[in-house]
Amino acid sequence: MNRTTFPRTWRLVACSAAVLGAALAGCTNPGTSEQAAGTGGNSGDDGQVVKESTGEGCTLEEYGAEKIDLSQAVVGFSQSEPDTAAFRAAETKSIREAAKEAGVEELLVTNANNELPKQIADIQNMLNQGADFLIVAPVNSDGLDPALDAAKQRGVPVLTIDRKVTNTHCEDYLAFLGSDFYEQGKRAADAMNEATGGQAKVAILLGSSGNNVTEDRNSGFKDQVQAQYPGLEIVAEQTANFARDEGQAVAEQLLQSNPDITAIYAHNDEMALGAVTAVQAAGKQPGEDIKIVSIDGTRNAVQAIVDGQINAVIESNPRFGPLAFETARKFYAGEPIPENVIITDDEYNRDNAEENLGEAF
Amino acid sequence: MTATVEAPGQDRTRGRARIARVAQRQGALVILAVVVVAATFTFDSFGTAGNLENIALQASFLAVVALGMTFVIMSGGIDLSVGSVFALGGVLAAWGAGHGTWAAVLLPVVVCGAIGLVQGLVIARGGLPPFIVTLAGLLFARGLLLLISDEGATTYKVPPSSAFRELAQGSFLGIGYPVWIVAVAFSVGGLVLHRSSYGSTVLAIGGQEDAADLMGLPVLRTKVVTYTVSGVLAGFGGLLMASYTSSGVTVLGVGTELEVIAAVVLGGTLLTGGAGTVLGSLVGVLLLQVIRNVINQIGSLNSNWQAVISGTILLVVVTLQRWLATVQRE
Repeated sequence: MNRTTFPRTWRLVACSAAVLGAALAGCTNPGTSEQAAGTGGNSGDDGQVVKESTGEGCTLEEYGAEKIDLSQAVVGFSQSEPDTAAFRAAETKSIREAAKEAGVEELLVTNANNELPKQIADIQNMLNQGADFLIVAPVNSDGLDPALDAAKQRGVPVLTIDRKVTNTHCEDYLAFLGSDFYEQGKRAADAMNEATGGQAKVAILLGSSGNNVTEDRNSGFKDQVQAQYPGLEIVAEQTANFARDEGQAVAEQLLQSNPDITAIYAHNDEMALGAVTAVQAAGKQPGEDIKIVSIDGTRNAVQAIVDGQINAVIESNPRFGPLAFETARKFYAGEPIPENVIITDDEYNRDNAEENLGEAF
Repeated sequence: MTATVEAPGQDRTRGRARIARVAQRQGALVILAVVVVAATFTFDSFGTAGNLENIALQASFLAVVALGMTFVIMSGGIDLSVGSVFALGGVLAAWGAGHGTWAAVLLPVVVCGAIGLVQGLVIARGGLPPFIVTLAGLLFARGLLLLISDEGATTYKVPPSSAFRELAQGSFLGIGYPVWIVAVAFSVGGLVLHRSSYGSTVLAIGGQEDAADLMGLPVLRTKVVTYTVSGVLAGFGGLLMASYTSSGVTVLGVGTELEVIAAVVLGGTLLTGGAGTVLGSLVGVLLLQVIRNVINQIGSLNSNWQAVISGTILLVVVTLQRWLATVQRE
């Protein structure tokens, strides 16, 4: 090792140190947590509508929480997955905006990056920082026990959104706000029937296995087809893990091995967009030769309906903010909160996609 | 170095080499201390007993895995399977808890140890690169996990009455058992590294395997033991996590191997093997956990900053290691 390498190494070290310094300097700048992530126009007035509520009501008294004024409360939001997914980005943004709207003192936001241990740490962290009310999008239905226990010990209510936990209602958590994924599957079958005129050989692109979203969207679709649409024949189903590239690869394989496929049902928009590319690669016209129906309501997919490549998208509304804070307000006003608050999801099809494009996330 | 008359310059070189050695061993500790002190003064809720206890508890699961990885890396190897084995250990423990506390503890330790043993045998006897062998182990363990959990759809719950829950949820003197377990495990690990022939053989293999072999050291046996222990500890970390969460969560451990490797390298263990400390790895794990905690304290900061900052610190440490190694050699 000769001495002439020293200066270069030093420079590298100094440079890295500077980067680190800048990052740490950025850290010591608290107090901007209430700032909304963006100002994209229409998401504020597109909150969710409650379709039905099931389960026993839970009041402030029964839960054993202390009455607080939301305007002086610190609210913590634990997001489960990275905001790179359109659904998550829209969800986080909606919570931030609704928190601002509700005028809470401070909103703490964490993201577990899909790691359960990190979500547990995140929640305990926010409790330590004095969170009075928690909104949690669980990474997993099981295993949040230590975090929920810690919240219970401090008398902090936990509202879960978009994924339900298996713990005890009104003891470990306040309520669950979310979509009915089974119903989404049934409506996808209705839309498929509409798009194909009742006669089709359908391939299904499944979401990740071992996931209640996948199971419900699949069984809802199949049950409805069996009950109502004998002309829809399910010829293949394969998992593509909710991912666009996998959706494309799996759709390509399916189209090759079953050339008579005339329709594709994808459990989410990303896989459907992958399928669009696969259908084009097979020399066919997506939306015409092969009908495509999916679930989510992302902007890209709704745009694809406008462009004629996808036939219909059942919405899964991510904008939990207004409903979450409305639920918190009711809870502190002494009203009973039901265990399951199921929201209404819209549908995008060829008749309304263009005019409703602004509502897609 | 063989000069009988020492020039004054050599004295300075030797002094610098000593500083370099200390910096390499304690660098992470210095960074950790600085971050902790800064965070304590900046954020009211950071220095509270509750928060510090949380950090220690949450670091303990990875720390157990990192202990095994430390010996693997010091021997010049790598173990990519630990993330999957960690998850598998948790699922086996939760399933076993339905059949008694001993089943919950022994099943994951035996199965994960067996995976480590097979990997060690293939690496040592077959002379195959650890990278590939343990990559196969990563896939194998994850596949096995999905098989026994109905493709991840079944999450086994630890029965509410099971004493197994106490293991990670109970505490002694206000500090959770996992923290005590880590303290004991690392003390033993430190003794094994510095006071046993096994420890010196690990370092010798990592330094120069051929030389260690020529010296008649039990290279094969040491390697097999090292990978077996890594498997056992990864499984044990998983079973602690299962006790902590009361369930065998199937989505755990993805990418955990990289986090553990990062912690070990941060702690001053050379990726090329041959040098390192056990305590350093503990500091590395704590540092990663503290960074995560501090980012949450800031609140407004996107949590992806955690990866950015951890990555930057890792780069600085590796760069420093390289430089310090050249200083020591002069």
